[in-house]
Amino acid sequence: MNFPENNIKVIVAASHFLTRLGIKTLLSVIGIQSDYSEVDSLEEIELAVQPGMRSFLVIEQNMIGSPGPLLLEQLVGKCPLCKIMVIGDMVLKNCPCSQFVSNNDNQQQILEKFQDFFFDQENKKQKTTGQNMLSERETEVLKEVARGLSNKEIADKLYISTNTVITHRKNITEKLGVKTVSALTVYALINNLIAPEDAIK
Amino acid sequence: MNTSLVFTTNMRMADVIHRDYSLIPVIGRFRIEYGFGNKTVKEVCDEYKVNPWFFLAIINAYHNRDYFPADQVKNFSLADIITYLSNTHQYFLEIKVPEIQNLINKLLEESTVGNLKNIKLLDDFFSKYVEEMKIHFAHEEEVVFPYIREIEKASIKMDAPQSVAKMILAQPIETYERQHDNLEIKLTDLKNLIIKFLPPVNCRHIIQNLLMELFRVERDINDHSYMEEKVVVPKVKQLEQEILKTV
Repeated sequence: MNFPENNIKVIVAASHFLTRLGIKTLLSVIGIQSDYSEVDSLEEIELAVQPGMRSFLVIEQNMIGSPGPLLLEQLVGKCPLCKIMVIGDMVLKNCPCSQFVSNNDNQQQILEKFQDFFFDQENKKQKTTGQNMLSERETEVLKEVARGLSNKEIADKLYISTNTVITHRKNITEKLGVKTVSALTVYALINNLIAPEDAIK
Repeated sequence: MNTSLVFTTNMRMADVIHRDYSLIPVIGRFRIEYGFGNKTVKEVCDEYKVNPWFFLAIINAYHNRDYFPADQVKNFSLADIITYLSNTHQYFLEIKVPEIQNLINKLLEESTVGNLKNIKLLDDFFSKYVEEMKIHFAHEEEVVFPYIREIEKASIKMDAPQSVAKMILAQPIETYERQHDNLEIKLTDLKNLIIKFLPPVNCRHIIQNLLMELFRVERDINDHSYMEEKVVVPKVKQLEQEILKTV
């Protein structure tokens, strides 16, 4: 297993020294050796996480308290490349974390969660949500359908015949299993193929 | 569950439910309440002024998809069939839609920020679907069903006034058949968007319930459309022809 990119940072935010030490040990067990820092207060987190830098934040839930999700959301807003793992008693509602380790998890579960978290399994899953089901040309056609263009308009825009557009649409529908324009639009938006403001209303 | 079993009039109503609990909402659509004791299907139907043969045809068809006695159902009065269809509309709008909406609301509440956008898209898709469903049902309730009742009345009296004939010529059931757009397609789309494309959510049980509900509603809607297309429309067409011959 190779670490995906260089130039990444791991920040461990936990109030207790023993917790931080434990996490650090676990990281070396699963082979994470990167720019590593520890913080034990909220204010330090913002300093440690830099916008534009790919970073992994492992944070203990009791450090952020009840406004936790909001704080983390602001953090992700500022630093979109920051991925968050929360360790605590229960999942907070609307928490923007991509991994949650429960205090009740056993060794095996914790190990798996750490591996998933750092080796980007979740991101891979999200990206492959159906996107590779379509060819490049089909994706182009789908985008225009979701923008509300007619077959004729799509044909003109992509320099292909209307019949070709119809064939593409037939294949798109067969591959995706959705037929209506509104559902195709939802598909395009879920997969970030078009901007929300461009979508057919 | 033995689907080859055919329910009969002298079977106990309680046993019908024990043998196939998916009939619970169907029986509810006949406005039949519980507390049957050991009464038979016939006795309960008589009590609620439901045609027992029509009741049996519906529950048997629902119990076993291959059993649809279209010819037999055509012998029932259109008034009975329409009452049933109308109750089904109410069941969808007053029970099923709020149930599904509740599940979507829960998903919205529990979703992570990252997935919230996607759940909102599904929510929006479903709202639009419900709007279309309402328009579709309202058209049937306000235009199509009253028309069918008029036609049946005229045909029973064997004396159709000119006005009825005019009505038939102006807007025969055929026009409705052409407008009968498919509510099923969008529902299948919604299911597939969830099954195939929604990124994993952190509240698995809610999404499971949501999918199960969508499958149930889809089945109900399919049955509903089948009744309209294969039973009601052909029967009305036949009556229209008969009436036009007499005037």
